[in-house]
Amino acid sequence: VSDSQLSRFEVFVQGRKGAAYVHAGSVHAPDPELALLNARDVFSRRPNCHSLWVVPADRILRRTVEQLSAGAETDSPATPGKSETFLVFGKIGHRGSHVFLGETAAAGSSQALSRGQEAFGHLDVTSWWIVAEATRSISAPEEARAWFDPAKDKPFRDHAFYPVETFMRNLGRGRRQQAR
Amino acid sequence: VNSSNIDDERLRQFETRIARGEKIEPGDWMPEEYRRQLIRMISQHAHSEIVGMLPEGGWITRAPSLRRKLVLLAKVQDEGGHGQYLYHAAETLGATREEMIEALHSGRAKYSSIFNYPAAAWADIGMIGWLVDTAAILNQTMLARCSYGPYARAMIRICAEENFHRKQGMEIIYYLTQGSTAQREMAQQAVDRWWWPTLMMFGPHDADSPNTPALMRWGIKTRTNDDLRQEFIDQTVPEAEAFGLTLPDSQLRFDEGSGHWRFGEIDWDEFRRVISGHGPCNQARLEARRRAHEEGAWVRAALQAYGARQNEAA
Repeated sequence: VSDSQLSRFEVFVQGRKGAAYVHAGSVHAPDPELALLNARDVFSRRPNCHSLWVVPADRILRRTVEQLSAGAETDSPATPGKSETFLVFGKIGHRGSHVFLGETAAAGSSQALSRGQEAFGHLDVTSWWIVAEATRSISAPEEARAWFDPAKDKPFRDHAFYPVETFMRNLGRGRRQQAR
Repeated sequence: VNSSNIDDERLRQFETRIARGEKIEPGDWMPEEYRRQLIRMISQHAHSEIVGMLPEGGWITRAPSLRRKLVLLAKVQDEGGHGQYLYHAAETLGATREEMIEALHSGRAKYSSIFNYPAAAWADIGMIGWLVDTAAILNQTMLARCSYGPYARAMIRICAEENFHRKQGMEIIYYLTQGSTAQREMAQQAVDRWWWPTLMMFGPHDADSPNTPALMRWGIKTRTNDDLRQEFIDQTVPEAEAFGLTLPDSQLRFDEGSGHWRFGEIDWDEFRRVISGHGPCNQARLEARRRAHEEGAWVRAALQAYGARQNEAA
């Protein structure tokens, strides 16, 4: 067996209940369950995570506005046919990451992209990602406290834990007193 | 219209986009050289985070208190995470994890020269946080404005976390320099070891940096090596003074006219020696990485077997 780094999954983080899921990066794993576990380790060391989504990277239809304006064909990785639910993500403007915008029902991801453009086109989206809902896995809500609360017990991971400005002020004062 | 005209036109549009401050995303057209330079830089950066765990990792079991141990453990874990963010960013350009790891282990890929120096005493952990991470933050704050979207986003995430690294280092140095004579001496010896290698982290002088003009034109870098190095010196010299530490450079002096600290010449022979594999710890670092990879082979094999069985079941 060749030494493999396994499949890639894109990871989306929800910072708090009700907030939009935002793309954070990717992890390698053999299946969605372990992808979620790796995502938890890599992307929630700080208390910034309420829930995670993972999606196999090769199942996402991705199109930038540049590709679309060049008339790129929007052939879909999902099989067209009966209607299913798709998740629409977009990067708005030139700052920030891909953000979950909403759902749409469509027959295949090409149609979902068109519907996403109709629904969210006013948002200045510069890059679209279309994900069949069936390919997305969600971290278990009943495990959320066990998974994400320990980060809250580690305040020493935050720079504000270290009163360095006070130290440096004290040193400055000490020096001035010595000089006198 | 021949293909080179089309490429010229595309290059012109690409450079216009960058000049407008737009981010290039995976899927957008980019010159092959832009892709090549980014893969080179991002994978080197990822390797630096991963190898960077080694000098500090050795001190986790030797930390002087439980608090220091928790902090160091969290910092080293962050560096592992930062390596993951960066490998991800390189993968968006078509590089594979297998290729990048192979390049590191075979010695073909470079990583930051600083991690080929040993952390000889506890004070060195403070110096890594204060000096090395301050240097890293300056470089990474620049790269957070990089024209390639996935790299810029990884940098924003890393910079937010890296401030903790710098400050825990300054805290260590503060307590050592306010401590006993032996502690003050340990801090002084550590700064003597780390000062010059940290200045080398910014890379060669601009005149000797062949990649810089292309990197600046395409918005991958927005500041030069010498510019960043000068800002580092202007920031850290007063901090060293406050700590009561003497920096090992007899030519260091404040230039009233320019408002900058002037400093002596870097030993570029040493820089080239370390970068080309002959520093104090190059061999040990690569051996540690190869061994970790080999010893993890059974885990990857088990995950693959598990994945194959999940697929059969599905």
